[in-house]
Amino acid sequence: MGLMLISSFSFAQSFRNIELQAAGLTCSMCSNAVNKALKQVDFIQDIKTDLKNNLFTISIKPGTTPDFDVIRKKVEGAGFSVGKMNVEVNFANQKIANDQHAVVGGKALHFLNVKEQTLNGWQKIQLVDKSFLVATQAKKWQAATKKECYKTGVAASCCADANVKAGQRMYHVTI
Amino acid sequence: MKRIMMVACCCAGISFLQAQELYVFTEPASNMATGSFGFRLNNYAMPMSHSTKTSYRLEPELMWGASKNLMVHAAAYASNMFQSKMRVEGGSLYAKYRFLSKDDIHSHFRMAAFGKLSLIDNPVLEAATTTHTYYDGQGNPYLHDITDYYQSNQMNIDGDHSGYQLGVVATKLQHKLAVSGSASYMHRLDNLKGQKFAATDARHALNFTASAGYLLLPKEYTSYGQTNFNLYLEMLGYVPMDTRGYSIDAAPAVQFIFNSIARLDFGYRFQIAGDVSRHYKSMFLLRLEYNWLNAFSKK
Repeated sequence: MGLMLISSFSFAQSFRNIELQAAGLTCSMCSNAVNKALKQVDFIQDIKTDLKNNLFTISIKPGTTPDFDVIRKKVEGAGFSVGKMNVEVNFANQKIANDQHAVVGGKALHFLNVKEQTLNGWQKIQLVDKSFLVATQAKKWQAATKKECYKTGVAASCCADANVKAGQRMYHVTI
Repeated sequence: MKRIMMVACCCAGISFLQAQELYVFTEPASNMATGSFGFRLNNYAMPMSHSTKTSYRLEPELMWGASKNLMVHAAAYASNMFQSKMRVEGGSLYAKYRFLSKDDIHSHFRMAAFGKLSLIDNPVLEAATTTHTYYDGQGNPYLHDITDYYQSNQMNIDGDHSGYQLGVVATKLQHKLAVSGSASYMHRLDNLKGQKFAATDARHALNFTASAGYLLLPKEYTSYGQTNFNLYLEMLGYVPMDTRGYSIDAAPAVQFIFNSIARLDFGYRFQIAGDVSRHYKSMFLLRLEYNWLNAFSKK
């Protein structure tokens, strides 16, 4: 029983569904280009599309960790950009505070516009890095932090600690 | 300068209509998806200005999305325009580089620079034979064929002439409303096999285009399998810089898109104003297009 518990913990999925809204397109041929590009990604299990709103609901293959930048690059490769991206993340007693980072499922997440709290279970977070937002929104989120990592997308030496190395990819997120 | 302003303004006027951006007679600033591959079969029919003949041109065209910002086309041309039988005339290479992209949900503004090089071995003059009735000394009629030779100062590097073109295109898409405009410089080279244009023929020209369309069906997108029906209207302006004249063509078109992957375009381009010398002043276009999305892209 103890062994089963440990093994189920070690394989606990940290990321589940991703909601992606593509920006810069209105035609179905364009949406199809995004859909086909996303289908090539190995950690994506299934994609449901809402053509009217350019929404893609992406489910992640169990046992894999999604790379958000790979998804973004696929959308950009199809000729468009990410307008909005929400990710379901499984938190385990995770303390978070505004303008501070936490490491979840091996990813460094820097929280913006949040209250100090402890997160448990599946929570939907929004990526607010500038490359995951339309330009007008990116400008707004830029004002939420003075830290250099928002501009560079990587942990600066000032932010680095025991869990996050300087130069590691830092995703900026909100709840 | 007055001619240039008039042609440019006339083309810009169209930009207030509603549109989709998969234009039929021009290219938008947007590119095809990275690693995608497309094939077009363009069929043109041109009623000739100086004879009763209607010329036919076939243009197979390959398209490739080299990166998110760069796409390339390669085309070959064959027609019966300058002789009675179909023959291969040459080919062209086209590249478009998107250098500005501002995306928002359901809208974008994009700008791209494009270039095209075309090498064609057609004669520089069109021979048009007409049959005339003459009368001999006794007043008896007899028929006699006379061949006249016509030049064209309307440069066309899509099959007629060798040359290159460099330009910029800007496209603004807003929900179902999209407008696109381009300006380009065109330089005519001598045709292959030593067929030179005369010193008095136009060598340098400016092209202006404005394109608009309208998504008629479906009213609301629900699946990739829905057939799309789009209407387009484009204006194509042309001003030679080293000779007199100008031309402004209107080009309405209809378009079907099947399974979000295949296209059928039908358009008619015709001169609405102008006085430049041309081999033909109107053209029908029937285009079949199929796209293989991500045919060459890396996983």
